[in-house]
Amino acid sequence: MTATQLSPGRVRKTPAGAAAPGRRRAFDRYLNPVLGAVGVAVVLASWQICASTGVVDPKFSSSPSGAFGALVDSFKSGDVWSPLGSTLSIVAWGMVISIVAAIPLGLLIGRNRVLYALTDPLISIMYSVPYVVFLPMLIFWFGIGADARVVIVVWSALFPLLINVIAGARNLEQSHLQVSRVFCASRLMTLRSVAFPATLPYILAGVRQAVGRALIGAIVAELFMGSAGLGYVVQLKTSNFQTDDAMAAIAVIAVIAVLLNHGVAYLEQRLTFWSRTD
Amino acid sequence: MNDPRRKLVVDDLRIGHWSRRSGTFALACDGLTFDVAENAFVAIVGPSGCGKTTFLTALAGLIPVESGRLELNGEQISGPSRDRSLVFQQASLFPWRNVVANIEFGLKAQGRLDAEGRARVAELVELVGLSGKEDKYPRELSGGMSQRVNLARALATDPDLLLLDEPFSALDAQTRELMQEELTRVWQADSAGSGKTAVFVTHDVPEAVFLADRVIVLSSGPAHLVEVVEVNLPRPRGPEVKRSPEFQEISDYILSLVMSQNKPGRRTEDHDSNAALSR
Repeated sequence: MTATQLSPGRVRKTPAGAAAPGRRRAFDRYLNPVLGAVGVAVVLASWQICASTGVVDPKFSSSPSGAFGALVDSFKSGDVWSPLGSTLSIVAWGMVISIVAAIPLGLLIGRNRVLYALTDPLISIMYSVPYVVFLPMLIFWFGIGADARVVIVVWSALFPLLINVIAGARNLEQSHLQVSRVFCASRLMTLRSVAFPATLPYILAGVRQAVGRALIGAIVAELFMGSAGLGYVVQLKTSNFQTDDAMAAIAVIAVIAVLLNHGVAYLEQRLTFWSRTD
Repeated sequence: MNDPRRKLVVDDLRIGHWSRRSGTFALACDGLTFDVAENAFVAIVGPSGCGKTTFLTALAGLIPVESGRLELNGEQISGPSRDRSLVFQQASLFPWRNVVANIEFGLKAQGRLDAEGRARVAELVELVGLSGKEDKYPRELSGGMSQRVNLARALATDPDLLLLDEPFSALDAQTRELMQEELTRVWQADSAGSGKTAVFVTHDVPEAVFLADRVIVLSSGPAHLVEVVEVNLPRPRGPEVKRSPEFQEISDYILSLVMSQNKPGRRTEDHDSNAALSR
């Protein structure tokens, strides 16, 4: 019954044999995380071995132990907090602006044929062209301050979200709109109580894409024009041959990325449980 | 003007729609004329594709009338209104609303969801047999349960005229029988005025006879009136009514009327009437 979504929420399937003994189920449940951890451990171990045995030069390639030491140091000294806060705040601002702008705009465009026809090519172009090419232009327009970095985050996050919201608003079920009409719901009520919830799975799929792109946008902005942020730290430390510190900053970025992704996935599970098909 | 015997007046009615496929104007009803009395339960039967559903859609105000009179309480129907509600063919429940919230939708849309409205919804949940399922979501409901919600949602706004568009056609045979009995029970028991005026469209003749006071037989499309058959079976009707000779006699008679409309070469698909709905 639900329309196809661009990237459907995670479908959690209960293991087939419900009558299987509890030990078996616990085994199934922990198998994937355990295997995942083993995979990461293997890669880190081989890296460490290569660095320790001199196959690669740890000055250039860093090493897991060196990076971990740098990471601990950066937390001990508190050096990590300022760039972390800077990156998180521009990602947060960028996402807030993108969400506040894209949801009403997308619903409006998706429900209005003329607006859709007018904006569709523009939005497709803006979505398809790698936003990084606009970076020099954006620096030219907005400078290299924190505002300019937020602009880049919005630029990168807005369009995937907008495209998803529009797709959702265009795929409303006719039958739902008819129910709304038969019961004499106002346009506002229809938008808020029918169009918005029906679009929510698309919105959250869009948010998930947008969060990923927002983080990339923030890091790219910091690499190129930063004076703050984790991207800037990576850039600075690498230039100074402090690869351990650079790797530590990258590890922090990785943790942020994974947490953001899981956070949105959790939101999807909580808010659009009704659209799951299991 | 408000003659209770002529609560709903259909006079020389013409309804049609532009077919997207062929780009032509397809007539669904032409010269349709009949009346419905206050508190009557009327069933409309006719061959597949004759325009029954299109007619009901016009009655709901979802598609415009070409010409002729289509009057409820002496006023021409020109759009959806609070005094009518529709039980949809497909349950068309909102999957993000639970059972109670789905039933409340009409009241909420009309700004009438006050304490009284909530009490009425609670009463309807009980009446249509959904007690204990208040917090379930549509994906957790069976087809029969969904149609109960669909029915309760339509009754919640306490409409002057209740429209039902083949609500049981998608259900399996046993559930359908059960729902027919439930509907007669609910229709007779609804506290907000027992025996609302109701128009029930179906292609199932025994269903029509079982439910209705009068059965309106339409011709194959474009639909006009063939005959109005009075069903003088006593109420309340239980399942045993279906085995009575009177029931058989009326059903056979209506079935012969409907079958005689199935001339070769006429449209036999339901596509066009469905297309009108999704416009």
